Amino acid sequence: MLRFVALRVGRALLTIALVVTFAFVVLRLSGDPALMIMSPDAPPEALAAFRQAWGLDEPIWLQYLKYFTAILQGELGQSFRDGRPALELVAERIPATLQLTLPALALKVGLGVPAGIYAALHRNSAIDRAVMTFAVTGFTVPSFVLGLVLVLVFAVQLGWLPSGGQESWRSVILPVISMGLGGAGILARFTRSAMLEVLGQPYIRTASAKGVPWGQVVRGHALPNAAIPTVTIVGFMVGTLLAGAVVVESVFSWPGVGRLMVVAVSNRDLAVVQCILLLVSATMVTSNLIVDLLYGVLDPRLRGTAPAGGGH
Amino acid sequence: MSEQVVPVVAAPPRPKVAIPPGVALAMLWLGLMVATALLADVIRPYGITAMDLRARLQPPVGFGGDWAHPLGTDELGRDVFSRLVESIRMSLMIAFGATIIAAVFGTTMGFLAAHFRGWVEQAVLMLIDFQASMPFLILALSVLAFFGNSLPLFICLMGLYGWERHARISRGLAIAANAQGYAAAVRQLGATPMRIYLKHVLPNIASTLIVAATLSFPEVVLLESGLSFLGLGVQPPMTSLGNMVGYGREYLTRAPWILLSPSVVIVLTTLSVSILGDWLRDRLDPTLT
Repeated sequence: MLRFVALRVGRALLTIALVVTFAFVVLRLSGDPALMIMSPDAPPEALAAFRQAWGLDEPIWLQYLKYFTAILQGELGQSFRDGRPALELVAERIPATLQLTLPALALKVGLGVPAGIYAALHRNSAIDRAVMTFAVTGFTVPSFVLGLVLVLVFAVQLGWLPSGGQESWRSVILPVISMGLGGAGILARFTRSAMLEVLGQPYIRTASAKGVPWGQVVRGHALPNAAIPTVTIVGFMVGTLLAGAVVVESVFSWPGVGRLMVVAVSNRDLAVVQCILLLVSATMVTSNLIVDLLYGVLDPRLRGTAPAGGGH
Repeated sequence: MSEQVVPVVAAPPRPKVAIPPGVALAMLWLGLMVATALLADVIRPYGITAMDLRARLQPPVGFGGDWAHPLGTDELGRDVFSRLVESIRMSLMIAFGATIIAAVFGTTMGFLAAHFRGWVEQAVLMLIDFQASMPFLILALSVLAFFGNSLPLFICLMGLYGWERHARISRGLAIAANAQGYAAAVRQLGATPMRIYLKHVLPNIASTLIVAATLSFPEVVLLESGLSFLGLGVQPPMTSLGNMVGYGREYLTRAPWILLSPSVVIVLTTLSVSILGDWLRDRLDPTLT
């Protein structure tokens, strides 16, 4: 078990290292980092100080090491827009983003998983077809189109809900629906196919042949086994809590991380972009790690991935 | 409860299946889109930047407009139909280009991994894991921030989307093919690795790769239109479906038709490719997810 955990943690750290390397390479390829980070019209002495602080006059491998350690210490540069530390700018936007992404996640899981299970248990029924149609639609309608149509109907025509901004709890409803419905569709589709796969297994037939009531077969045998693929998708959705609202935040002028990202990209405020990139990948990697560890809990067989058979 | 138990029987030989009506409709729509893209210059009645200042914000036919501008006009009096036709061409071109780049790059990486094994394979697998575990939108936004935007760069960037799916599939299939008689036979005959992979392995796994490409095509359309909607994809004066939606958003209350027609095209196109892709997958390779 310890070996299992250590392997997974090692892989997570490796991925983070890859992202940092990616940021370093891209930053070096795109020009003089001092100019990019500080803005071209910064005073020369500030540029010189920056070059020295980041060691830009040193050999490339040493620069890479220094860049790496700076990031490990939380040195993520400053926004050239207002000179504040990028990390601070991003951190103060996180609560607003979570206000949208957490309810959206609840909507995806709360709607998608039961719908998928129900559809699988009643395969080829009218409800199954309705769920699948909904799932495909959810997958093919982009969130910004859904968001704008919702605004057109509920804000412009009916005047029931605000079309944007962050005034009251009512401003949350439309963005959450625009984000959640598509995800619910994807999740319903995955849950359904995972359930169908499990329901076709011999152990389900055995359980129902030996007279276990169907409800108990579903709860005791089918659901736990279908949980693994579903947990993977949910884990991915948890990982995008910070980054998943880029488009929708723009539609509803919501002051979150995604909006900040879009503005930073248009202004080429690289310190902020880099900071968001690293934070998002850290969230993503962490949630993947948690999912990996959950596999071990959900499926005891996976704990023994140690080649020698494992001694748990 | 006995109806839950499905007896396992050998599948009967597959009869010639008629194309289901949904798939036929999807094919029809896609054919229309491809024709529109190819014939854009002939179809569109006006230039995409041609302004008609006397006919600004004119509604479409059926909502008070006339046939001079069947889908209405925008704030500058530009014909929405002409812009829509040009946008379809641009969005389809990007999506096709990107899907082909992803397929070629991914398949090459998969073959390299299958051929060399060892550390090459480990490196490819690590890249696949990295790509699959990052939200692509954020990676794409970062690259756009660092390098700025140009159309060729944008298409290449979109081409990075989904390569890992092709790499994973082609690696697995090539390893399996290498273990089969036909690959070993041509190798014994002295064929170069290049020849084995391109002339013998590739044709054998092509159908699976085509299905994978069909599945990632609508995702590329959505990604491109999302980025263009944010103003970070295709740049004016060029136009794409996402651009039109982003521009039309400013006139949501006064002229909703500006954004509704490109939205409908996006949804119908992604829907059609998904339906076609699902159908192809069921027919050619049911093991893919």
